[in-house]
Amino acid sequence: MAGTDPISQFKIYDLFSFGTIGGDADGNGGFELVFTNSSLLMLITVSVISFYLILSTRGRGLVPSRLQLVSEMSYEFIANMVRSTAGNEGMKFFPFVFSLFSFILISNMIGLFPYILTISSHIIITVALALLVMTIVIVYGVMKNGFGFLKMFVPSGIPLPVLFIVVPIEVLSFLSRPLSLSLRLFGNMLAGAIVVKVFSGFMVMLIPLGALGILGAILPLGMTIALTGLEFLVGALQAFVFTILTCVYLNDAINPGH
Amino acid sequence: MTGAGRAFRMASEFVAAVIVATALGMALDAIFGTQPIFMIVLLLLGFAAGVLNVTRAAAEMNANAPKPDPDKLVPVDQDDDDD
Repeated sequence: MAGTDPISQFKIYDLFSFGTIGGDADGNGGFELVFTNSSLLMLITVSVISFYLILSTRGRGLVPSRLQLVSEMSYEFIANMVRSTAGNEGMKFFPFVFSLFSFILISNMIGLFPYILTISSHIIITVALALLVMTIVIVYGVMKNGFGFLKMFVPSGIPLPVLFIVVPIEVLSFLSRPLSLSLRLFGNMLAGAIVVKVFSGFMVMLIPLGALGILGAILPLGMTIALTGLEFLVGALQAFVFTILTCVYLNDAINPGH
Repeated sequence: MTGAGRAFRMASEFVAAVIVATALGMALDAIFGTQPIFMIVLLLLGFAAGVLNVTRAAAEMNANAPKPDPDKLVPVDQDDDDD
């Protein structure tokens, strides 16, 4: 029966191919560049954000219109977050942090529409975002502080013998950041998408039971509505958590050493 | 942040450190052919790193939590032994 399988919503299918890189003449091997439904949704997410921000701030009203107000409030929200966690120097990362926040938030919101994939429910997307954050942290930290960046792994005020244990622990703690960052976003979005689908699938399964089934389907309907509301909260919250942890990690790159 | 969100944050901080350390240990073992020494050592260090992550996350949450209202605090009864 259509629509009762909670896993089928995560299916990635090819829309069109850009062609193959490498491989032999028979078409074996090589790396095929394909535009998938996930790519389409990412493109839609970016277009929604860009069009909204460009169109709403086009008027440049001194007294903002309602649409302009939302754009300005989102700017203030992220700018305050970056300033309070990473300091004034962190503001040079504001465009990156704002893009990250709006991308995750809007893609989670688009994923709430029925039949539409939540792109952050695929771990490859969240891992790519987390690795991007960690690459920026490491590259900027080394560029700015040189070897001083390694002070991050040496807490101050610790006697020398203890450092032999503490430094590996700090290094592992640093290495685990991209994984925990990506696992959290991926896990929350995947679980939310599956649970909503399971409860809405119960409705479809109950309807063939006749009048009693239709009456009984009201219960999972209520659950589905409640969980969709919860998913709004989780989607926004996970975007916020991802962004604020990005700011915390950027702060480590700017000021290494605790 | 909701309670489940906090719990999920703690769990992922802890689990990620253990997974990363174990994977790193297995990779080092495969390179040097010393199974299972690096895995065991790094697994233990991974547990320690996970606990460190969790304590840091908890300290950060405590710092961000709103201060309790002093008027609403219940005074503690000092003489609470059973004599």
